[in-house]
Amino acid sequence: MRMTTRKLLDRAFTAAACFAVGLMVLFLLFVLGPIFGKGAGAYVFTGTVEHRRMMIDQFGRGDEARVAAEWAGAQQARRPIYDALAAFEKELPQLPAAKRKALKPAFKAVREGVAVLLGPEPGEPLPALTRKMYGQTRWEKVQAKVTDILFEETWDYSEGAGKKVLVPRQPMFEGTALAPLFPLLQTDLTALLRPRLTFYPGFLTDVSVDAHFFGGIGPELLGTIYLALGALLLAVPFGIIAAVYFQEYAKEGAVLTFLRTCVNTLAGVPSVVFGLFGLAFFINTMHVSPGKSVLAGALTLALLVLPTVIRSSEEAIAAVPRSYKEGAMALGAGQWHTVLTVILPAALPGILTGIVISMGRAAGETAPIIFTAAVSVGKLVNPAELLTQPTPALSWNLYNLCTEHEAVDEIRHVQYGMAATLVLIVLVLNLTAILIRARVARRLKG
Amino acid sequence: MRTSEHIILSAGEKARRKAFGLLGRAFLFTVTSVAAMAVLAILFFIARDAWPFFSDRGVGDFFFSKAWYPAHQPPQFGAAAIFAGSLLVTGAAVVLAVPPGVFAALCMSDILPFNVRQVLKPVIEMLAAIPSVAYGFFALVVLAPLLQESGGRVLAAAWWVLALPALFLASVVAADLLTPGRLSHAAHRLARTLLTLCFLSLSLALLAHVGRVLGGLQVASGVNALTASVILGVMALPTIVSVSEDALQAAGRELREGSYALGATRAETLVKVVFPAALSGVFSAVLLGVMRALGETMVVWMASGNAAQIPKPWYNLLQPVRTLTATIAGDMGEADQMTGSAHYHVLFAMGLCLLLFSFTCNLAGEWIVTRQRKRLRGG
Amino acid sequence: MRVSLLVAGLVAGCAVAQAQDKLVLDGSTTVGPIAKAFAESYMRQNPGVNITVSESGSGNGAKALLNGTCDIADLSRDLKDTERKAMAEKGVKPVAHVVAYDALPVLVHPSNKVKGLTIDQLRGIFTGKIKNWSEVGGSDLAIVVISRDTNSGTFETFKDMVLGHEAKIVESAEYTGSNGGIRQRVQMTKGAIGYAGLGFVDKSVKALEVNGIAPSAETALDKSYPIARPLFMFTNGEPAAESLAAKFIGMSRTEKGREIIEEIGFVPVPAKK
Repeated sequence: MRMTTRKLLDRAFTAAACFAVGLMVLFLLFVLGPIFGKGAGAYVFTGTVEHRRMMIDQFGRGDEARVAAEWAGAQQARRPIYDALAAFEKELPQLPAAKRKALKPAFKAVREGVAVLLGPEPGEPLPALTRKMYGQTRWEKVQAKVTDILFEETWDYSEGAGKKVLVPRQPMFEGTALAPLFPLLQTDLTALLRPRLTFYPGFLTDVSVDAHFFGGIGPELLGTIYLALGALLLAVPFGIIAAVYFQEYAKEGAVLTFLRTCVNTLAGVPSVVFGLFGLAFFINTMHVSPGKSVLAGALTLALLVLPTVIRSSEEAIAAVPRSYKEGAMALGAGQWHTVLTVILPAALPGILTGIVISMGRAAGETAPIIFTAAVSVGKLVNPAELLTQPTPALSWNLYNLCTEHEAVDEIRHVQYGMAATLVLIVLVLNLTAILIRARVARRLKG
Repeated sequence: MRTSEHIILSAGEKARRKAFGLLGRAFLFTVTSVAAMAVLAILFFIARDAWPFFSDRGVGDFFFSKAWYPAHQPPQFGAAAIFAGSLLVTGAAVVLAVPPGVFAALCMSDILPFNVRQVLKPVIEMLAAIPSVAYGFFALVVLAPLLQESGGRVLAAAWWVLALPALFLASVVAADLLTPGRLSHAAHRLARTLLTLCFLSLSLALLAHVGRVLGGLQVASGVNALTASVILGVMALPTIVSVSEDALQAAGRELREGSYALGATRAETLVKVVFPAALSGVFSAVLLGVMRALGETMVVWMASGNAAQIPKPWYNLLQPVRTLTATIAGDMGEADQMTGSAHYHVLFAMGLCLLLFSFTCNLAGEWIVTRQRKRLRGG
Repeated sequence: MRVSLLVAGLVAGCAVAQAQDKLVLDGSTTVGPIAKAFAESYMRQNPGVNITVSESGSGNGAKALLNGTCDIADLSRDLKDTERKAMAEKGVKPVAHVVAYDALPVLVHPSNKVKGLTIDQLRGIFTGKIKNWSEVGGSDLAIVVISRDTNSGTFETFKDMVLGHEAKIVESAEYTGSNGGIRQRVQMTKGAIGYAGLGFVDKSVKALEVNGIAPSAETALDKSYPIARPLFMFTNGEPAAESLAAKFIGMSRTEKGREIIEEIGFVPVPAKK
């Protein structure tokens, strides 16, 4: 082969290798981009007066006097719309029969559309469902709802596959009392809904209202924290003791090899099998709780993170310089004493790294808690009930909301917010671990 | 005075310390054993609940029949299609993940400077840290609609990006190798240029043809084996990269320097010398990747479509499939657990198969790594 | 003596309070939205009460009732004979409460020009005999069958009412864990056909006429729409008159409860004549 070709191949190889790394970074951005980009929308968004009204009603938060003034202003702006609706309702019986028949369903659709956009009409009884008590709370959804009022969505099947056709409703009502409503919706939206940039940190701690239509993810977050902390509380003592045994006490031999193989194998068990085991052992055999509970979930997750804790603790203990131990021994300290006062403190940052990573893992896992701990709706769990009470959790409820919820599309921002929060928690934990590790490396070097 | 007393222990004190030490050791051993034996407990309890299924219904139908009708009267539990689905998704994920994974490992171990590597490593680890349900959400909400709306175009674009440079390179190399060596300098050059052009136009034709076929594909359903495989591949990548990188690093400096001294380029050194030396390590990395992909639940549950069928033809990744993990997660809630029905036990049977497979992979991987370590130490 | 009585009284009081302020529901994802909305409304009015709702499927709901891990089991189908038998053996006395009715509309993508199907055509599609929309008057497009998981109550209802006992659903059918999931898949997929509860129909999907009858609250109640069913909440024994469970289930008969049911998209139980 010619030298130039060889060089070309070499360059191409380098390029391909860098491309592979670049591809991974790109994919990471491709995944994180939408999750964080849209997830931020759960915390910061353009909220309407309906949002502020809802916050005062449901959570007692906000400047009541100011919102009341805003609300009065908005109602003032909405008056012509309600007047047009009322006037047309009176007019409808007097219209010729054919026209009446044609306009009645369209009027019903317009009226329902207005209720969706602005909330129930003044004087109407309050709907039973909270989601119907308010108009659009988020400005980015308003335009679509206005389109729903202004146009009728029909499908044209004349060319085989159907094509969506938007038929404007305005011409239908030309010359009736409803006609003034349409221009109002095209020009004066800000006056109707008073959009303003809204910062909603309460999303993190608020309970959900009406199946996540409003409110936040407090119970889910708390459940995730309980499960992750509970798992660590159970796994860390076992993990560290096992690591100390492996590193400081065990003698090479069949028993040690066997125990090590067991730990390594545990690391490879699929997460859903942990869930099965949790169900079969902790709940159906040991009856640690009558049904799903935080305890059962934490026990299951503890098993899942145990190998990680053992491994990282082992590595940390192995990285403690031999001289530390020898120094301690030379001063007459026993093995126990050396481990407790010299080795473990020196290995602590490394052990902490493993703990933090395991915490991220436990917080993010879903499959093990499906059968052991997770429910789709629940209050903030009282710490006194951790042993018996199941809990919502970020991971499971994200699944639940994006596949099982009855209005999947209406609450996309909550799903994104939940995903972003979960990913952020896990990444921050991992980042912490990386920082600790870097510090340890620097200290060992220095 | 007191210190000397402490250093020179009395006989009683000595015995006491010894007993204490023994007791402590026993305690440590017990705790460690409990932790380690957990895996055996898992095996036992999964097998205990899987046993009734096998003893009642045997193994033939379970492994070889495609009829998965757990709710039919009488129910049928043929899991062949589900096993096939798991294998297909896992296989595709590994095929998608191994080339970039190995290339990235080579890049990390031999090409990038130390500082860049230090920054990139945690970034790549992040890919593994993202919770699987977040990946599933991403697959369901972003990837599946994208694939469904413009799947053909996306696939065609991916094909062009990957195949154009590869085929270009192949043409140049093939022309170089096939040009007769005995010609004069000018003739040689001419022949090579002609051959190159010839190969290039051939490969362009191939590119355009495949690109057109891919571009015309209609993806009937965005949740399918391909969507799940892509995400599983991404999730398996960091494992593959970091374990392969360790193996490549372990191949040693001397090997590389020897190769460079003989005049090899970096690519030649890596491909012909370092990579073969690290092959067993890379293989165990791939095994770990397989385990990761096979055991993953949420992504396949949300993004694979869950149709208990073997795609026709079998390699058609654009059709929905059903995997073992998704079946366990999805059916357990519905399974009639109280009567200890066959449907409950069949899910444990699937869990048992997963468990045994991951045990096998794990032991194989461990064996390979130990063997390699021994060889390196010996060599 | 008096002290011990007092203590006993306190303990008993606590136990009652414990039972009075906690309610656990488990079961069908179809009944889930009703249960969740009821729970939320109830907890809002009675702040001390904690009601948890799991939507883990009808089968799991029945199991939870049997094991005593839930107070109310939501089912989108009646109990099976095997389940009744197991309950009888364990001394659990399931009592059915119909909380609402539901029609199962057949959903297609709105771009699909097919307006309605007969039960026979539906059977053909779901068993795989009909594979292309052109065979039932649509355009040339492969049919993508989307079904609920095979042992959800919704699946069983659909199977009993459409496929019959012998027929098996086509093996290429995609399975989804919930009604919301079905709608999501149908609205994303041009050739899709699926089925979900009445409450899940919106303008993003088209509900087909079956045997010429469009699904609606009226056609579900007068039984002219062929795929309709009652939704149940099961308790162990008739709940005591003033108990939380009784009040909770009783909500389905109150005006507010009926309104909630209607607004979520189900058919409330007709008021007693």
